[in-house]
Amino acid sequence: MKKNEPLSESYYYILLCLSKGANHGYGIMQMTEKLSKGDVTIGSGTMYGATGNMMKKGWIREIMSDEPGVERRRLYQLTESGREVLHEEIARLRRLLENAEEV
Amino acid sequence: MSEYKTRYKAYSAWNYENEIEELNKLSEDGWQLVKAGNYHSKFVKNPDIRYRYQLDYGNIEDMGRYIETFREQGWEYINSTYNHWHYFRKVYDPSLPASSYEIFTDRESLKEMTGRWAKTAFVMSAVIGLMALIYLIMLIRMPQILYLLLFLTLGIESAVLFRGALIMNDPDANRNRKGDTKFLYVFLIVLVLGCAGIITTSALHTHVYSTQQAGSMDSPKTDEVWNTFTVRLPDYYYLDLDIGSVSPVTVTIVDEDEETVFTKTSTDFHVENMRLPLSRGEYKLLLSASSGFKVTFALD
Repeated sequence: MKKNEPLSESYYYILLCLSKGANHGYGIMQMTEKLSKGDVTIGSGTMYGATGNMMKKGWIREIMSDEPGVERRRLYQLTESGREVLHEEIARLRRLLENAEEV
Repeated sequence: MSEYKTRYKAYSAWNYENEIEELNKLSEDGWQLVKAGNYHSKFVKNPDIRYRYQLDYGNIEDMGRYIETFREQGWEYINSTYNHWHYFRKVYDPSLPASSYEIFTDRESLKEMTGRWAKTAFVMSAVIGLMALIYLIMLIRMPQILYLLLFLTLGIESAVLFRGALIMNDPDANRNRKGDTKFLYVFLIVLVLGCAGIITTSALHTHVYSTQQAGSMDSPKTDEVWNTFTVRLPDYYYLDLDIGSVSPVTVTIVDEDEETVFTKTSTDFHVENMRLPLSRGEYKLLLSASSGFKVTFALD
């Protein structure tokens, strides 16, 4: 996927959820459902594939939680390039919406 | 004591949703999957729980991250088959929405998964299809039962795989096909019968190779038995013959009834892949010569 190609709904929501800070897969899933009021769900297969692909692209990276007293857990964190991709996508969506309002 | 049972399974990859449906039904009947295999799966009797199953296909790079991602959403990893099918189950709770029992929640990720299988199958189908084509060319050039069997076996396997790859590559295709098992049976039966036929044909096919030479001879040979061979498989056989001699040499093949199948008299003769249809029976190779000669005879 090129940088300026539209993101799939799952990719978009994963990046959006991570823009608020690092999170684990389950947290991303819950946050997505809450944001979309249940319209968008991200199943485990979709989550594994999307996070794997976005790590390869360098949009997100894996870190381990270091909260004291809590089991060490895999978290995903947005990278600078991931944040850029997200902002570009939001700008693109905004343009689409503005165009729709003009017509 | 727990009660176990083993079930032989016949699902093709492109019909994997049919397997999921059957696993769900078995769980409802109290049979819970313990270990999934390629051809048979093991179940344990436990009527007190109900699971929903899902399958994933692919070569997983990070198994730890993979299993964790599924566990986070309540999926228990069961096992993987050696050809990269992964089995998951989740305790069934009727109050949860249907989407919580899906693992692929968008078209793109489902297409990625089925596309991985389709890609492998397209490559395999192409390789097998190319081999079938090579044997078709050989069959046309030199008709023989072995080439016919190789062409048919490889051709059918390639076609069944190609059809499966097309189904898996189409995101809108139905992958819960009740009647589709017959294609898997065709694949397996052709594989077994084809291999058996190829091995039998190769074992029954007669090969003869013999060479004779002599300097100037004191006593000329007249229809002297040079070699005998048995044909067990009626087929087209191919003759290579080389004669080099001062005076004419005669090479003759006769069957059980002393009927001549082939004869050639010459001082200098060379033929390759001359087609001879031979029926079942005993054959004799006769030689007549009166001076120095060299003859090479090969039958394949």
